[in-house]
Amino acid sequence: MLDDQTVELNLPSRIGYERIAIGGLAAFAKSVGFSSSRVEDLKTSVAEACINAMQHGNKGKPDARVLVAISFQENTLRISVFDEGQGLKAQPKDPDIERIIENLDPPVGFGVFLMKRLMDRVEFDRTSNHLHEVRMMMKLKG
Amino acid sequence: MNQRPNEIKIEKHGDIILLDIRGDVTAFSEPSLNSAYNSAKESSPKKILLKFEETAYINSGGIAVLIQVLAQTRRNNQRIGITGLSDHFKKVFNMVGITKFATIYPSQQDALSAMAATA
Repeated sequence: MLDDQTVELNLPSRIGYERIAIGGLAAFAKSVGFSSSRVEDLKTSVAEACINAMQHGNKGKPDARVLVAISFQENTLRISVFDEGQGLKAQPKDPDIERIIENLDPPVGFGVFLMKRLMDRVEFDRTSNHLHEVRMMMKLKG
Repeated sequence: MNQRPNEIKIEKHGDIILLDIRGDVTAFSEPSLNSAYNSAKESSPKKILLKFEETAYINSGGIAVLIQVLAQTRRNNQRIGITGLSDHFKKVFNMVGITKFATIYPSQQDALSAMAATA
């Protein structure tokens, strides 16, 4: 059930459409008072969550969708990104750039790493609708 | 939504090769960045400056492509500078560790002056 503080975006599961989500998110976050630098942190985090949903959650299925829900309550911006996948079996380890440069590790894991570093809180969960959900939160300070 | 291919201009400034990268930096940038790097490599430069557009959208796919280019420059003993980043992407590049392998400069002129002064 949507309330008057919540916006939902329903995206095709195709890389590039995450930009629609971050455009809407940026407008929303600015309107409730987030600084430009925090808006940039939000944009990167939500873009990465959408890309993961498209690539790993929906695994490129052409008819799958990615749902982004954004709400602001109690001075906290909450963003959920839903996909039709099973979620992560295990949290990816943080990328080690020195091992990647030496070709010892593949160049992966930056998306989740950045989400965890840039947001105040990130959680991964299965929902009762059999969707996988990434929940992110950022508090409006000051 | 398709990304327009990057337009990359290659310029020689003394012993520095400048790759002026126009457009967003994502996984779709891999062919154009690799092609530009391979062209730059033909003159065996020891110093390469990557210049981005401050308004560019850069995502994890683009960071992975860039790190693969950095891996090549390391194998070829090349010094790398980066300029044109917004404050946000300076922070992101520092977080992921790119600054261990490349120096970020505030402007093209600062980068060219500082890199020219190094061996």
